Amino acid sequence: MDLTPLQEAVASARTVVAVGARTQWRIGEPVAPDAAVVRAPAGVVRHEPADMTVTVGAGTPFGDLDRVLAAAGQECPLDPADPRATVGGVLAAGLSGLRRLRLGPLRDLVLEVRVVLGDGRVVKGGGPTVKNVTGYDLPRLYVGSLGTLGVLAQVTLRCRPRPTVSRWCRAPEPPPAGTRPSAVLWDGERVQVCFEGVRADVDAQCRGLPEIDGPVLPAGAHRGRISVPPGAVRPLAASLAALRGLRWCAQLGVGTVHVATDDVPALVAAREAAHAHGGWLLCEQGAPGLPAFGRPLPNAALMRRVKDAFDPDGKFAPGRLPLAGAPAAGARA
Amino acid sequence: MLGTANATAEPLELALYARDAGVAEGHAVAVCWPATGAQLAAAVRVARAHGRPFVVRGSGTGLAGGATPLGDPVVIVTTRLDRILEVDARSRVAWVEPGVLNLDLSRAVRHLGLHYAPDPSSQQACTIGGNVGTNAGGPHCLAYGVTSAHVLAVEVVLPDGEVALLGGLAPDEPGYDLRGCFVGSEGTMGAATRIAVRLTPDPPEVATMLCAFASVEDAAATVSETIASGVLPAALEMMDAPITRAVEDFVGAGYPRDAQAVLLVEVDGLPAGVAEQAAQVEAIARAHGATAVRTAADEAERALLWKGRKSAFGAIARIAPDYYLHDAVVPRTRLVEVLGEIARIAAAHRLLVMNVFHAGDGNLHPLIVFDGREPGTWQRVRAAGTAILEACLDAGGVLTGEHGVGVEKRDLMPRLFGPDDLDAQARLRDAFDPDGAANPMKVLPRGSRCGELQRVPEGTWI
Amino acid sequence: MSGPLRLDPDGLVACVACGLCLPHCPTYRVTGREIASPRGRIAAMRAVEAGAAPADDAFVRAIDECIQCRGCEAACPSGVPFGHLVEATRAALGPVGPWWRRAAEAVALRLLAPRHTLLVAATWVLLAAQRLRLVPARLGLPRLRAASLRPLDLPAGGSPDAWLFPGCVMDAWMRDTHRAAARVIRATGAVVARPGAGADCCGALHLHTGRIALARRLAARVVRSMPGDAPVVVDSAGCGAVMKDYGRLLGTPEAGAFAARVHDFSEWLATRPPPPVARTGRTVVVQDPCHLRHVQRAHGAVRSVLRDAYEIVETDDDGLCCGAGGLYAATRPALASAVRDRKVAAIGRAAPGAVVASANPGCTMHLRAAGLDVRHPAELLAEVLDG
Repeated sequence: MDLTPLQEAVASARTVVAVGARTQWRIGEPVAPDAAVVRAPAGVVRHEPADMTVTVGAGTPFGDLDRVLAAAGQECPLDPADPRATVGGVLAAGLSGLRRLRLGPLRDLVLEVRVVLGDGRVVKGGGPTVKNVTGYDLPRLYVGSLGTLGVLAQVTLRCRPRPTVSRWCRAPEPPPAGTRPSAVLWDGERVQVCFEGVRADVDAQCRGLPEIDGPVLPAGAHRGRISVPPGAVRPLAASLAALRGLRWCAQLGVGTVHVATDDVPALVAAREAAHAHGGWLLCEQGAPGLPAFGRPLPNAALMRRVKDAFDPDGKFAPGRLPLAGAPAAGARA
Repeated sequence: MLGTANATAEPLELALYARDAGVAEGHAVAVCWPATGAQLAAAVRVARAHGRPFVVRGSGTGLAGGATPLGDPVVIVTTRLDRILEVDARSRVAWVEPGVLNLDLSRAVRHLGLHYAPDPSSQQACTIGGNVGTNAGGPHCLAYGVTSAHVLAVEVVLPDGEVALLGGLAPDEPGYDLRGCFVGSEGTMGAATRIAVRLTPDPPEVATMLCAFASVEDAAATVSETIASGVLPAALEMMDAPITRAVEDFVGAGYPRDAQAVLLVEVDGLPAGVAEQAAQVEAIARAHGATAVRTAADEAERALLWKGRKSAFGAIARIAPDYYLHDAVVPRTRLVEVLGEIARIAAAHRLLVMNVFHAGDGNLHPLIVFDGREPGTWQRVRAAGTAILEACLDAGGVLTGEHGVGVEKRDLMPRLFGPDDLDAQARLRDAFDPDGAANPMKVLPRGSRCGELQRVPEGTWI
Repeated sequence: MSGPLRLDPDGLVACVACGLCLPHCPTYRVTGREIASPRGRIAAMRAVEAGAAPADDAFVRAIDECIQCRGCEAACPSGVPFGHLVEATRAALGPVGPWWRRAAEAVALRLLAPRHTLLVAATWVLLAAQRLRLVPARLGLPRLRAASLRPLDLPAGGSPDAWLFPGCVMDAWMRDTHRAAARVIRATGAVVARPGAGADCCGALHLHTGRIALARRLAARVVRSMPGDAPVVVDSAGCGAVMKDYGRLLGTPEAGAFAARVHDFSEWLATRPPPPVARTGRTVVVQDPCHLRHVQRAHGAVRSVLRDAYEIVETDDDGLCCGAGGLYAATRPALASAVRDRKVAAIGRAAPGAVVASANPGCTMHLRAAGLDVRHPAELLAEVLDG
């Protein structure tokens, strides 16, 4: 995959922001408006079905990747809400999908990254094999870095067998121990649960439960994602239930709670509840002017040093991630 | 703070901390055994105040020299930090101190129907802290992922003596994944004092199968086709004939002594899926000429089969007194070809190489067995080892799948990474440890960064 | 290439330093120190043997702190003969420790153990001293009873179906266990006898403290005391382990043939038609004496003979040593009790307050001193024999 145009675009700009499909553009603080927009290349570079790995340009829409993998009976559970989202965008935002309960977080899917740094150099981190501890874990560092450490240009991802059956059901309560749901969503009243696997196992787990087309998540002009320790979901839910105009749905066993509302104050109140239960509320949509994170990031000084190590000139996505200290512009040659 | 009883510079004790289970030797100027996180942090600060680097180690079962003390450091041993601090069965999280033994944790939560999934072969002896350092793997990491997939948060003493909590129990901590950076950093970014790990529910159903083959090629082809067919076993291990016999001598688990290769395959999950996958594996194995396929009848038989597999490296001493064990990963589609190449290299160097490895994820462990007392053997062993690694890299592989780079593979890093890649990694490490005080001279070769100078002490050999 | 310790070079080189022994070493478990581990001790032996390090105080302490439980041997995939290496090192070092300890060991091992009548006489003196409250409780000695010291109702010599080996300390302090064992043996229909003259002591304690020559003399006397080919039943796991190794210790075919006749009590019983017992439903936690589990590897038999009468509960510590170690509990009380704390905790986790079955007198005394109710499997069975 030819990365030269991207390298040149990055090297020649003063500040840069990598853009995908802008489906999660609200994540993080707004980027300085004068940053030059760059896009990573799209396309599947290599799919090794027998090795269950796939290498793609970071600009590849998830839907395109999914079609290629589906043809080989495989999948890569990036699970963005919108299939137009690019692979690079999903990884940079770092927010895992609904099936995290069974399939794990996004960061565990990335095997190798190729990243364009500020001076146009391409840096490789990780490796193409499914197991690898050679050197420091740059792939994980880039997941959730919001484009502030360089431009993700190409990634190698781990695939898995696509389940023969994948079924969402409505249930009166969470599934009992001994079942293996891929997702359990709970909004205080009803439960939506996803079972996957071979037909007999899915049938057995779904017995007596009405099937639904797919999960319904709260809708509203302003949306956020709460992240709390999984054990704090139920006490948090009690607080959220008391908030007028707030709709929510929790991923049980994970600790993610999706919230939506039509008035910003309810989102602010939800954020306070999240803080009270040891977590965060990340703005995902709307809520103009509301800070993205709501409180200072932990270990901001150490994160600042990491940022400076990869982006000494403060070139990438300026403003996106509020870290302590000023960018050490020109500090390193 | 530690007291004189828990720190020493006595020559015999220092000598015993000159190495881990690998072959590289170094030298410690002092050794200490803190019993609390605060004592560990104090030990780091004392070392720094005296201008010394520090090396943190657990049980010393690492095979890449990751715990070898280079640069005359203070060695900080975590074996007394061995408390399981908290188990939350509902959230499936445990907080542990770094010196807790991997298997002790699984045992302690067994009654809750949970276990700690990463299961390195040394799991009875190795510590969770050491596992975090090397991002340890193990047979069951094929389906469940390596250590970094199971560590939620780490409280660390940074090399400047500051304490920080990296990661957290909430699923999406904002900002950079510092936890992800720390796991697998081989002690070069600081010292863990408390670790939150994910506990995994025991599978409702497990089938453990032993498949015997008349050739290594047949077994390797079975592995490739199993993966390609869409079966995702919980574990898929391979042993060749000499290893199988050595293991059988030790455990008597009924491993076939006449097979040229055996596969140990485990599938788990819900009953129908397990039955289907087990049948698929058996069909694939038989199609590739398996001479026998046996399924463990009960938990005791299953445990015995695994004990055999996990004792393999040690059992080698029954064949020859020394071994040199490598750890490389190749794409699973290249297994047959790479195993053939390894056999050719061994023959060319007049050495016996055996194979026991995590076949399902392509993680090879070519094992050269020899008697180091015979003159000239070590040179041939090193030459063959390097040739084997080169062959793995040429097949699109990487240097290490779970043992870590340590000091053993440090100088091979430029074979896999270009100067820019190494520079980026060095910058990341410097962000944590600008003075190079934490486990110096590990992971990255000299010159990874411009102007970097490192001294390798006399007598260090790798 | 033998060095100052005159160790078997193949045994020494067999260790590949993998560390799988570490969690099975009781002294490593409580100290966390490499020097208190099998791997560390072997590395130290190698260094001394190669002339790279002196056999200084630190080395002597490292070797002396080993309980010789041999848990590491059972865990060692490389088959390192650790027990033999430590025995040989101790023999090369000679008696070690403070003067009072060397003196006490000399009295116990050179004077009393080889002369059983003298040991029994000394036991009467000790019993009297206990009654007069002259023996400090911290020594952890069992409370002796005059009734227990009455003579064993067993014929000496002859040609029995099975010999019951009485041993030294056990026969002086825990003769009730022999009585129970004899009852159970008879209940299987076998004729049992005790050996004739010479079976004063098996030599285990001597061997473990490096007194190999004396151990050999005692062993030769034991072999002569039980002629014929009847099985030799031993109800002390520590004695049984050494007696099974007489072939190597004495290096004669006779000794080898004798060793093959040696069986632990439970091991022998498991080969017999089971005696009639009443099912009690009571819970018993099995504590595996190291020399039964790691050396004789006959601990499974304890479970099979008790299973008909009791509910067996296992501990979760992989048979880690209790810290008794023959004389160890007396000579290294601090480490021994730290090791015991772990065992007591493991027993508590398994079944709090339950009776503990132990097939070794040393373990029994050591654990009783921590307040546990410990019985020999023979006693537990004798209690429930029908009729």
